[in-house]
Amino acid sequence: MSTGETTRPMLETEGLTVTFGGLNANDKVDIVIPTGSFVGLIGPNGAGKTTFIDAITGFVSTSAGTATFDGESLLEVAPHKRAKRGLVRTFQSLELFEDLSVEDNLYAAADDPKWWGFLADMVWPTRSGKNDAVERAIEALELDEYRDALPRDLSHGQRKLVGVARALAADPKLILLDEPAAGLDTTESQLLGVRLRSFLDRGMTVFLIDHDMGLVLSVCDYIYVLDFGKIIAKGTPSEIRENPAVIKAYLGEEAGEIQAAGAAAAREAVGGGAGKAVAEAADEESAV
Amino acid sequence: MTSFLAALIIGLGFGGLYALLGSGVVAAYKGSGVINFSHAAIAMYSAYTFNELRGGLAASSLDGGEPRATLVLPWIDVIPGDTINIPVKIGLGAAWPTFPAILLTLLVAGGLGLMMHFLVFRPLRNSPALGKVIGSVGVMIYLQAVAQLNFGSVNRRDEGVLPSGTAKNFLGLGADVGVDNFIIAGIALAVGGGLTALYHFTRFGVATRAADENEKGAVLLGYSPQRLAGFNWVLSAFTAGIAAVFFIQGPSLNQEQWSLFIVPALGAALIGNLKSIWMTTLGGLGLGMLQNGLTDVAERQAWWHDSIIGDLLPSGAVREVLPLLAVITVLFLQGDKLPIRGSVVERRQPRAPKPTNPLKSAVLPTFVVMVAINVFTGSWESNLTATLVAAIFMLSFVVVVGYLGQISLAQLTFGGVAAYAAIRFFSNGEKVRDFDLFAVQGLDLPSPLAFVLGVAVAVVAGVIVGLPAVRVRGVQLAVVTITAVLAFEALHFQNAYWTQDGARSNTAIELPNWFGADVSVQPLEGGATDRWQFSAFLLAWVIALAIGVANLRRGATGRRFLAVRANERAAAAAGIDVARTKLLGFGIGAGIAGIGGILLSYKLTSISPDSWNVFAGLALLAFAYLGGISSVSGALVGSMLVAGGLVDAITSLHLDSLNPEYFTLIGGVGLILTAILNPEGIAAGNFELWSHVIKPRLQGLVPSATAEPVGG
Repeated sequence: MSTGETTRPMLETEGLTVTFGGLNANDKVDIVIPTGSFVGLIGPNGAGKTTFIDAITGFVSTSAGTATFDGESLLEVAPHKRAKRGLVRTFQSLELFEDLSVEDNLYAAADDPKWWGFLADMVWPTRSGKNDAVERAIEALELDEYRDALPRDLSHGQRKLVGVARALAADPKLILLDEPAAGLDTTESQLLGVRLRSFLDRGMTVFLIDHDMGLVLSVCDYIYVLDFGKIIAKGTPSEIRENPAVIKAYLGEEAGEIQAAGAAAAREAVGGGAGKAVAEAADEESAV
Repeated sequence: MTSFLAALIIGLGFGGLYALLGSGVVAAYKGSGVINFSHAAIAMYSAYTFNELRGGLAASSLDGGEPRATLVLPWIDVIPGDTINIPVKIGLGAAWPTFPAILLTLLVAGGLGLMMHFLVFRPLRNSPALGKVIGSVGVMIYLQAVAQLNFGSVNRRDEGVLPSGTAKNFLGLGADVGVDNFIIAGIALAVGGGLTALYHFTRFGVATRAADENEKGAVLLGYSPQRLAGFNWVLSAFTAGIAAVFFIQGPSLNQEQWSLFIVPALGAALIGNLKSIWMTTLGGLGLGMLQNGLTDVAERQAWWHDSIIGDLLPSGAVREVLPLLAVITVLFLQGDKLPIRGSVVERRQPRAPKPTNPLKSAVLPTFVVMVAINVFTGSWESNLTATLVAAIFMLSFVVVVGYLGQISLAQLTFGGVAAYAAIRFFSNGEKVRDFDLFAVQGLDLPSPLAFVLGVAVAVVAGVIVGLPAVRVRGVQLAVVTITAVLAFEALHFQNAYWTQDGARSNTAIELPNWFGADVSVQPLEGGATDRWQFSAFLLAWVIALAIGVANLRRGATGRRFLAVRANERAAAAAGIDVARTKLLGFGIGAGIAGIGGILLSYKLTSISPDSWNVFAGLALLAFAYLGGISSVSGALVGSMLVAGGLVDAITSLHLDSLNPEYFTLIGGVGLILTAILNPEGIAAGNFELWSHVIKPRLQGLVPSATAEPVGG
């Protein structure tokens, strides 16, 4: 999956540093996410992955470094403005709008309010069901039958999908996914991988954080590895799979080999739709 | 300068009171996570208890009778007739000496604390912030009403227990300083120091702090957070009892004034960050001193009282404005635009269902009210118009508290702002009625224009009060808004610069005339029944606003409000401008409240600062919550419940001489029960009952029309 052309990257950070009480949760992180690519970020618990997403979406303030999104600096831009520019995230803990129906959750992200909108709403409320981004998101994640359901009435797996759909509904240029597969079973996780990959066809760029090595190694074009706030490795999935530092820091030597074998199988499964049993077996291993 | 210093020192007395009450607020917060708005009401009830034990009204010179001690329990005999009597007033022989009276007063205070823990806040422990605020407001309303019923509304004086001597020309500052000021400050410091030591050095204190930081952790260590909460409630109530006993000789004893000491007490507690008792104590003392000192400057210095400063901030308002400044400064410095990751997520909020077809739903109620307008006469018509006006305020609560989730206690105040502004735009400088005390100077604009401008002023006020909401959330915002209510009252309603002689008496309103139609409530010479034109005018406004607020929920604006209410971080991530959304909500809410305020002024025909009093505002919130804070139907149900409303008209048929305080009392109890049992309010509760219990049964009984074609 090569983009080929030398376009400017969708997101680029240089020396990005986030400090919490003297501790660098992110320490001079340099990451490049080329336009139209699928980039992953892995690392053990507490490595600073979510902090990195928080930093580039404006939820924590950075103490040093720069972040450039689609050619524009993100410094001092409010979180909601970053989202409106097309830099949209999901949350590990979902954080759905529990009082709004699934459809309204998506519309809340897709709406582009005007200052007089409230007056119009009081007289003649805006009709839902007309927004392309929302309809595409509902279609992509197959949420049509849950449109009017409240998030709290859905299963965990479905709630995860709503979280991703809400980000999609904002019509993002770059979507940052914070552990979308956490808590999903193997089949759900694989299906999610296929769906995420299909986002690229809509001209989106995808950045994925996950613990599910099978998923990350199978869907990403390029992977960064974070440990103790620092990037310790980067490369294509096959390079990462064989990188001794990664295996040592993240996987543990033995587990790493099993994981790598499993991931290869899973990739095959996602790509070709075959060898499902093998992939499942591998993923069961990786869940250990 | 010397008089300023002397005033500062005299302020130690009030400062000690704030410090004591503030420490109690912090203790209760440490134990249960509740900011207790009724804390000063406990002090108020304790003060009455102490007064009664030492002889009550008879002890003062007003009454010649033999002073007897009475223990008055904090409830009323609710069972009518004399067959079964709930004990309320227990005679305890001749007036008690000081020391035993202090002990029993503290016992009563502690008992109140325990009751609050077991009956109110323990059941509310898993409620969202709004539920807890409502619970404590319910307790405050309840205690106020019980005190009114059991002790009457006569202002009492009590000599107190402290020596009444003064230090003549203290430190050569040229003023006499009462010795009691030093003693109260000393007691506050002692209590503050004692509590600080208790929380730092005893197992109980450490456990409380542990449970405050991490409740689960404390459970794992073998502490029961609820038992700790109970102890802290008693401790907190004790400080209120102590404050009552030693401060009783200060201001005269009446329900409202004492209950309102909660505002500076909250200011002190926030200076201590709701954590440090010691900082709270110092903050309270400082606040009291500064209040007195600055009031002295405002009174004495010509550069203050003879200039625009004195116009905008008269000496009488300094006392109310300082707590607001303290609270806003502290909260603004600490607050964050978005809650940080991992901060406590709000518990489930009352549901805000999406109305399906407001126009259709409006038809039947409109028809019923139109019939009522034509049928009702006398007090019934008047109760109907009171309900219609209340409905508009309830709708403003639905927008701000229900949809947006921001706890505002200031909606009635926005109504007052609009009403006073509209009067000035409207008046022509002549007396409306012969007996009016003064004529209002104004711009003589037509009614509708004055109305719109008045509402615009309310919107501005709403946005200003909403500004802190950008950084302050939950119950702390409730603190800001109640502080703002008192500040507005002092700065605006009671300020002659804005309301002329109306600052101290009534401001009359000309007969409103909308495009040739006289929509005044009664002709100038008065009448027995509210004019139908006025009722119809109100009804039109209620319908329009009810449909508007329902539509708001159906559209993009309501979606954003509910998103912000549910989760500010996620809302920002979805591209919603959280700050702007909050200000928009406050603006819309204040605008609706402003409409209600001007219509209320039409109904009252003359308004006074008391029309917008903080307790009236709290009662409105109470009934809005009772009806159902997050839906239009809830607002309409709530509006029928208000004192002087339709339900009142029905009950007064049976209980013709019902003391209005009973109504307030029932409101307080109902509020607590609603918060605990049915946070969605009466409207939603009945909806559930209808759609899940009654409707299915009815369908079972009657073979429905839809079933027939299938069979045949």
